[in-house]
Amino acid sequence: MPKKRVLGCSFPVLIGFAAGFVGLLIVGVLTGPMGKNLLGLPAWLIPAKPHPELPAEVVFHLFSFPITNSIIATWVTIIFLVGVSFLVTRRLTLVPGRRQSLLEFILEALLNFCKSVAGEKNGRRFFPIVATIFLFVGFNAWLNLLPGYGSILLHTSEGEVHLLRGANTDINTPLAVALISFVFVEYFGLRTLGFRYLGKFINVGGLVSSLRLIMRGKMKAGFSGLMTGLINVFIGVLETLSEFIRIVSFTFRLFGNMTAGEILLLVAVFLIPWAAAVIFYGLELLVGFVQSLIFAGLTLIFMTIAVAAHGEHSEESAHH
Amino acid sequence: MEGEGLAGLGISWPTLLAQIVNFGILFVLLYLVAYKPILRMLDERSRKVKESIDQTERVREQAEQAEEESKRRIEAASREGQEIIARAVRTGEEVRQQAQQEAKREADSLIVRAREKIQGESDEAIGKLRREFADLTILAAEKVIERSLDKESHRQLIEKTLDESATLKKN
Repeated sequence: MPKKRVLGCSFPVLIGFAAGFVGLLIVGVLTGPMGKNLLGLPAWLIPAKPHPELPAEVVFHLFSFPITNSIIATWVTIIFLVGVSFLVTRRLTLVPGRRQSLLEFILEALLNFCKSVAGEKNGRRFFPIVATIFLFVGFNAWLNLLPGYGSILLHTSEGEVHLLRGANTDINTPLAVALISFVFVEYFGLRTLGFRYLGKFINVGGLVSSLRLIMRGKMKAGFSGLMTGLINVFIGVLETLSEFIRIVSFTFRLFGNMTAGEILLLVAVFLIPWAAAVIFYGLELLVGFVQSLIFAGLTLIFMTIAVAAHGEHSEESAHH
Repeated sequence: MEGEGLAGLGISWPTLLAQIVNFGILFVLLYLVAYKPILRMLDERSRKVKESIDQTERVREQAEQAEEESKRRIEAASREGQEIIARAVRTGEEVRQQAQQEAKREADSLIVRAREKIQGESDEAIGKLRREFADLTILAAEKVIERSLDKESHRQLIEKTLDESATLKKN
């Protein structure tokens, strides 16, 4: 009869792991702020008090251009993503190996996501930007969970600074991605629809035609059209505003989530330095995935909306 | 938290610019090393799969056609075979009948010939017997009447007598 197994371990092994975890937890509690006065533990075990800062610190200047630790972290992300991709795609085979399968799986899933939202042709057009946003945001968040991020200190002329800091927790990064997302949305809209795309924002056609009716003396038709025309103009203004509000919401959604996660981890590590923070690390993995998916997915949806022939569609539905 | 407004959040133009540039670099590099080759590979693979499915379909169709063809051929061959057998039987029957007729004709002619021969032989035998008998009669008559008649006239006399007799009539 096979031994009963729990979580893939035989029972004694599981007990051992659990005991180790509880032991670490107890040490953690004792070295944290709650227990550090109970026993006289050595000072090197007591973690320093966290003081999260919102602005990223400048590590060095490159030709008088300030290089912050978040920029260095971004470089790490770029090197990681491009390096892995390069190593995998250097020798592509029709029958893929494990690593090629993994990369293909990720990209194919993103491609299918794009196709399912934007259709076959537009899905392919949007795929590179959507995939880049997903990978950039996601790996910025995940690499931030590695040891070394926020823990390596450098002594510079401006005092002690961290070498690496999660790129998403510097507001410049989400803002940069949000601006790029905005630019691509408008680019695809203009590219596909031409000047008609701008008609969504400057919607004065109804107003002008109703004013013309009033001039000709058709008062009744003119005034009823005037109301719709004014509403259309107002909707146009709202559409324009919403394009810009998107940038802000994109930026602060990602920045807020990532910074909150970072602070959560800092506090968790400070309160119970050992073992307990693992749970929050798992949580942050999920948050990173969700946030990158939201960022990429919303960009995809906005692009899809932008290329949809808005005016034609409403005219068509009016005929039916 | 030191600083006011945007600066307090950490927005700084150089970093923003740097991150935009970084994102652009990542976009271009990933496009070159990941998206383009992987998408090409995916397309290639789906094309291959589609091709092989098509080919399978084609092969299946061909096999079906071949089966149909062979069935048709077997049918035709069996029909032909039956025809040949029927023809052979007919020919055999004809040959048999012909042989029968031939044999009958042969037998008939044999019988006729035999009958002719028998007739001839019996005629000859009768002639011979007649001559013998005439000679004997002449001899006997000579003895009886002791006088030899003129042989030739005698014979004519006998012949006449024989002809008149019913039993030894020629034919």
